[in-house]
Amino acid sequence: MDGLERYAGVIPEFDRFVEAIYRPLPATARINTLKTDRDRLLCRLEGGGVACRPFAWYPSGIRLQTEKPGNLVENLMGHIHLQEEISMVSPVVLDPRPGERVLDLCAAPGSKTTQIAMMMENRGLLVANDPANGRVASLRSNCEKAGAINVAVTRYDGRRFPAQKFDRVLVDGPCTGQGMARKDQKVLGRWSLKRSLGLQRLQAALLKRGVEVAKPGGTVVYSTCTFAPEENEGVVSRVLDQVRGLSLQEVSVPNLKGSPGLSIWGGSLFGDEMKRCARYYPHKNDTGGFFVAKLVKE
Amino acid sequence: MSQSSLRNSPPFSPMDGGEVAEIMGSRFGIPPEAFEGVSFFLRGRNVWAFSLPQVPDLDFEAVGLRFLSVRGRIPKPTTYALQLFGGFATKNAVDLSIEEARVFIAGERQQLSAPVEDGYVVVSHGGDVLGCGLYSRGELISQLPKERRIEEKEIESFREGCGR
Repeated sequence: MDGLERYAGVIPEFDRFVEAIYRPLPATARINTLKTDRDRLLCRLEGGGVACRPFAWYPSGIRLQTEKPGNLVENLMGHIHLQEEISMVSPVVLDPRPGERVLDLCAAPGSKTTQIAMMMENRGLLVANDPANGRVASLRSNCEKAGAINVAVTRYDGRRFPAQKFDRVLVDGPCTGQGMARKDQKVLGRWSLKRSLGLQRLQAALLKRGVEVAKPGGTVVYSTCTFAPEENEGVVSRVLDQVRGLSLQEVSVPNLKGSPGLSIWGGSLFGDEMKRCARYYPHKNDTGGFFVAKLVKE
Repeated sequence: MSQSSLRNSPPFSPMDGGEVAEIMGSRFGIPPEAFEGVSFFLRGRNVWAFSLPQVPDLDFEAVGLRFLSVRGRIPKPTTYALQLFGGFATKNAVDLSIEEARVFIAGERQQLSAPVEDGYVVVSHGGDVLGCGLYSRGELISQLPKERRIEEKEIESFREGCGR
């Protein structure tokens, strides 16, 4: 079962989970309010005969009934950004405000970056960082298409991002991507415990640096698209142990069904506070899989 | 960190915002208020629009949105600049029929009779800006970047717009 059987004891309704993970994802997009407004966009799509339904939990997200959403004129104009539903959750938890200084530490290809730029109403500063040369091209292209003028693109190794003070930091770390299986089944075959543990070191170093460059009182959101606790609760608890003055906040998004983070996994005791993190499973909201933790710096 | 491609690139120099607003005002009739809170920077032969009056103290690849190319004799607005600000245009703007819009989206040129001066024009359909066109002697030439063009037969579910 491609490395998923290890979750049989922790994922609720496991049979339904497995069934969901082999179904393709619905086509979804985010309305880009930097360039259009919601009513106008919905009117346009309906006029073109594209049935669409806003998400129950996020008014800017829509499900589309169309063969090739990439070939919609609304996509060319940057009025929509094709983005998986559940990936819209981490910017919502980050809750950036217009005029703030925000860092997206692992930004490419820029779906969450452009969502944050939009939530900031194109004001303030959003630093979008990604070390990979090839991925920066897609990041820049997506920012341009979105009409984002408040984004500065940098290419540092996130573990050594220069000293700065940000109001909010998103660390959407590289991960084994099991939650993306509905988009690409191959991710399941590539998973191994060794990979998860190798990534854990990198993820913890990235999150630690993210916390360091947040100003006092600043918010840091850590997210991944994998189910592996080694890369989720394991990373958050490691950073909480290493860095003083951090508090873990409850993640709860109205009308989106989340499950609590794990307090214990295998031989590791993460602690009850880890239940404040949120896990999102494919069979609960008909989306991909995701993990989100929210930290606030004293 | 990995080597920045910017290390050997020209810096971003702040520009007089009024100058850029004047270019957009005289060509497209866009009022200067449309650019309130936007700062402009020159790097090489491109003008960039950014949300802050100073670029951050970081080694960056890009700041904001590439707005104008000043390579040629006449400044050329980028597709993305017009998609964002072209809605404010009061002249040198054409609103295409659905058939004409399809040709434009495919990146082609077409004969078009329009009350515009020769040069760069804002191209829209149903009140929504598609991008930049070059109008010359009764012909409209699509300036959409190649990677954004969609072949006519591939365009998905495109009917009437929603008006302004």
